[in-house]
Amino acid sequence: MDDPLIVVALLLVAASATAAVAVRDPARQALVLAVLGTVLAVLFTVLQAPDVALSQLAVGSALTPLLIMLSVRKVRRPQRKKEAER
Amino acid sequence: MNRRTTLLGVAEVLAWWAVLALLWLVFISTVNTLELVVGASAALIGAFAAWGTRRAVSGW
Amino acid sequence: MNGWTVAATATLAAGVGTAAWGVATGPLRRRVVAQNLSTSLACPALLLLSEGYDRPSYVDLALLLALLGPVGTLVFARLLAEELAADPPHAWGLTYAVAGFGAAVVIAVCVAAGPSRALVKLLVVGTLLIGGNLTASRALSGGFAGSRRG
Repeated sequence: MDDPLIVVALLLVAASATAAVAVRDPARQALVLAVLGTVLAVLFTVLQAPDVALSQLAVGSALTPLLIMLSVRKVRRPQRKKEAER
Repeated sequence: MNRRTTLLGVAEVLAWWAVLALLWLVFISTVNTLELVVGASAALIGAFAAWGTRRAVSGW
Repeated sequence: MNGWTVAATATLAAGVGTAAWGVATGPLRRRVVAQNLSTSLACPALLLLSEGYDRPSYVDLALLLALLGPVGTLVFARLLAEELAADPPHAWGLTYAVAGFGAAVVIAVCVAAGPSRALVKLLVVGTLLIGGNLTASRALSGGFAGSRRG
């Protein structure tokens, strides 16, 4: 009955996930993963699973990008210090 | 100035409590006694947290 | 398949699809704007879905997304501040258009809800959505200069 909606949501998830794999730089990957998290939540809603969508939103919108960006900063900072010392 | 600051603090906690309890009333689906009790308690805890946060930030 | 789900399908396909393309390609300033607008478009889509499926509980999803979407964008604005300062995004036309669309969807769903507590809840969601969208966009353009020195 709502097949076009499910198809659109599935296509969005597929496109975002492929983009997340194709993008190589970690900071830009974090951006794509944030969008992937939002689109996954929409897919779960369309498949009539709002509780799963709630958990996905809670984790995927703010927590996952924060974790990835903090790790990227931690890894990059010693490199930047070494470049400043030269 | 201790009595005046206490009075201001109590007034601020009460104001926060009213705002948060109103928000709770708007967000829930069915209104019964259990929801009111839970909402009042949660709003009270949230009011203390908001009062403490505002004192810590103190930039409003 | 009623009008609400058709509108939700159109919003997802056109809006979130364009945002997904924008976040995967192009310079950094386009990507952060696309991430911001993806959440600002998914929230009205969730409101339309809650009306289309006749499940008022789905408004909670839109409420959470209206709260957490701008938080995610602010995370990126804070942690990518140096790279964005060199090449700040200027997409205010697009941001205002998306905010206007969100307002239109909120008004439409409010009219369908009728005077009740649900109406006030939808208004709160709309305020958070538009306020969060504009705040996050301003943070991306470097508007909150004090936060960069942290």
